[in-house]
Amino acid sequence: MARAKIHVGLEIGTSKICVLVGEVKVDGSIKILGLGTSKSVGVRKGEICDFVDIKACIRDALVKAEDTSDVEIGSVYLSISGGHICGVNNTGTYRLPDNEKQIRREHLDEAIEIAKNVDISPEHEYLHHILRSYRVDGFEHTSSPVGLFGKTLEVDFHVISGIRTRMQNCIKCVREMHLDIDDIAFAPIATAQFALDRAARERGALLIDIGGGTTDYALYLAGSLVASGCIPVGGEHITNDIHLLTGLPFSKAETIKIKEGDVSGEQSRSVGVIKIMDEKGFSQQEIKRETLNEVIRQRLLETLQLVYKRLPPGSIELIGTGVFLSGGTSSMRGLSELTHQIFGRDIYRAQAAEISGVQANFKDPQFATAIGLIRYAQLADIEKQNKPRGFFGRFWPFGK
Amino acid sequence: MIEFNQDKQDTIPSSLVKIIGLGGAGANMLDRIALDGMEGAEMLALNADIRTLGGSVASDRIQLGRNLTKGLGTGGDPDLGQKVMLEAEKEVRAAIKGRKIVFLCVGLGGGTGSGGAPILTRIAREEGAFCVVFATMPFHFEGLRRREQAESSLNELAVLSNALVVFDNNRMGELVLAKQGIHEAFSAGDRMISDSIKAVIRLVIRPGLIHVGLDELMTALRTTRSRCLFGSGLASGKDRAAKALANALSSPLLDKGALLKEAVSVLVHICGGDDLTLYEIELLMQKLMKYVPAKAHVLFGAAIDSQMKDSLSITLISALPEEKLQVSSEEDTEQKREIMEPSVGFGFEEEEPEPEMELLQIASAFDAFEEVTTPATAQIEEWIDVQPTATEEDRPFAEAEEEVEDELKDFSAVVAPPVSSISPAVSEAAKDLREALQTSTEAAQAAVPDLGDLLSSNRPKLGQKDLLFEEGNRGRFSKTEQTLVDGDDLDVPPFLRNKKK
Repeated sequence: MARAKIHVGLEIGTSKICVLVGEVKVDGSIKILGLGTSKSVGVRKGEICDFVDIKACIRDALVKAEDTSDVEIGSVYLSISGGHICGVNNTGTYRLPDNEKQIRREHLDEAIEIAKNVDISPEHEYLHHILRSYRVDGFEHTSSPVGLFGKTLEVDFHVISGIRTRMQNCIKCVREMHLDIDDIAFAPIATAQFALDRAARERGALLIDIGGGTTDYALYLAGSLVASGCIPVGGEHITNDIHLLTGLPFSKAETIKIKEGDVSGEQSRSVGVIKIMDEKGFSQQEIKRETLNEVIRQRLLETLQLVYKRLPPGSIELIGTGVFLSGGTSSMRGLSELTHQIFGRDIYRAQAAEISGVQANFKDPQFATAIGLIRYAQLADIEKQNKPRGFFGRFWPFGK
Repeated sequence: MIEFNQDKQDTIPSSLVKIIGLGGAGANMLDRIALDGMEGAEMLALNADIRTLGGSVASDRIQLGRNLTKGLGTGGDPDLGQKVMLEAEKEVRAAIKGRKIVFLCVGLGGGTGSGGAPILTRIAREEGAFCVVFATMPFHFEGLRRREQAESSLNELAVLSNALVVFDNNRMGELVLAKQGIHEAFSAGDRMISDSIKAVIRLVIRPGLIHVGLDELMTALRTTRSRCLFGSGLASGKDRAAKALANALSSPLLDKGALLKEAVSVLVHICGGDDLTLYEIELLMQKLMKYVPAKAHVLFGAAIDSQMKDSLSITLISALPEEKLQVSSEEDTEQKREIMEPSVGFGFEEEEPEPEMELLQIASAFDAFEEVTTPATAQIEEWIDVQPTATEEDRPFAEAEEEVEDELKDFSAVVAPPVSSISPAVSEAAKDLREALQTSTEAAQAAVPDLGDLLSSNRPKLGQKDLLFEEGNRGRFSKTEQTLVDGDDLDVPPFLRNKKK
């Protein structure tokens, strides 16, 4: 605990690969040492579909990160995402034998075992078991109830699982780069570590990370994870929509999306036409601003509505802090207004104060997940030291 | 103004349809159909067990084996099942008389079902009804004995019935979740059968605007010893076309559409309320074509039924030769065929050979005798090539010229009776017959291009390319797995999807 530790977060995203090197100092603060990004090729909707291409991209990002941080990278924390990953809540109930009144460790283990045992389809594999709360005779406890008196013990878990083979392929790809994997984390869980502080989580906060290929979300209420998941729709879909509807090539569609798109739905921002210039400055094509905005708006509207629908009913009203947006697509103009229209809560941009280093490296919401991974690594480290058996509701299915 | 009421949809009155439940399982299916509401069609329950029969909701009931079993069941003995059915034959025959189409629901493996079903099917066919059999196969855990009983009965039914739809209970697990109760599993199975029957009835009773009827149904199922591929889906609300198709393909009998890949002809029937649009049909057929081979003969039908309100149903029917599904013992089936030789007027697959063909045989036999085979055999070869119903006896003619002499014996054996009967007038008859042959082969040659067209024209060309952004266009994501939420493909721009709604 006395030494500063260096962690590396690797995010293989649909639009870019991001390697972030961070130092966790003795006092617990994080300093970002270096960052390597590379445009990714061969990833669709958050999942790798071309292993040869993606390895070249990872190599590129890795070298850049090693250069800027002056650290030799041997092992990484990896974030994964994809439409196949989903989270469910499960409760394990254990009734103490009649002759025992005090809760012992074995009883708790039994209850946890029951809670962890969620019905998942055979091709799924557990990714995280995240402890939400304990209850003794219906009375809620946030810390371990071992030693307390009670009759029934309940343990709530949030269990995240995904299709085993797809996750394995992702790990294999990184392993083949001669990198060790310290741990893997579901992307929104990692992002939440960075974007939501304890107070926000305590009051209730929803994190929506709209990336290139996926939209990940995580909902925290009263300090514990309530829902998480991934919708395989992201910024690339917007580009694709523009491409399909206007016939513009992808590169042009991407440019006008970033430069001109606005999803606030305000009439005043949808007036006139956009001229698309070719390389020589001649205007090539014209698009009505109204059409462009409507195309983008409908895509994001639908995506956010899907998130809304997937959250447990009634949970939106319990969000006290608000909705945190992160990911590259969250830079879209007017997204805050749109999100507010749907969720009716305050909208925040994910940013953490207690991080030092070159500001440009972490101000951009694109890097939220990678920074979150460093934070996640820090927490995992603390847990490992506190509880050598790895007992805190996280059981890793994959070897270290 | 004088109203001119014309029924564009050539309907068959539903009173010509009879649904029969045979045995205990059959009674259950019948009850499910009755509970789901099937107005019009008559229902008939047949059982030896008087208690089960008494509990049936069917309007007509006939007790089997009044004297043989005296109100008890057959106790899982197919022989007894056969006997009790024969005992009640007269009553059953009277009940079926005059019906155009008979649906027989039966659970195979037991006594009444396994033993009685083939006989009942034969009776129905003899009465001139089109007989569709819906049979369930027993679970594996019910033991080999029941399985064998069911298999042998199934083999008989495959030959006897016009169409055979088999539901394997072992695949019922796909209909319900593992932890759901057994009653739910069974009722899901029954519901599926009931849906299937309803769909077929809808198809036959309301042939529709784009007509498909019994004839098309027969074409779709026209392979001997085949298992029926069947899927039907019903959906309402927005995007109902896609949802209905997805439902239809989710039928365990279709294996998510994978089995359709092998199909030679597929019958597709779409039925919707008054608001059925051409666009929906186009969309649906476009999606379906992904599952059906390009060469397959698609028999398409559409109907309007105002009772459907805002829902849309799609029915897919096709047949797959059994060997493609599983390897079955050939000797066994051959034997069965002999045993179940048709008595009167059934087996539409083996229709009487066309008179022309007889003529051909005789004529070519004469040709063989007179050793002027060259032009005739060449023509006959062509004729045989294009004639799918060519019978076994014609095969030798397709052989090369040199072999003709060797095979003369075979010919004379085959055509012996007709030849001897006309021998007194050989020379005149030969002339006439050769002329007849000439005209018929000419006709055949004329028909060749048409037939060729028929065979090569893979499927009706659907729609015109008017929409630039049809549903299939997913741009960058065209090669990735579809992301479907509530029947919407998320990769298609919402801007387009919302516009269409």
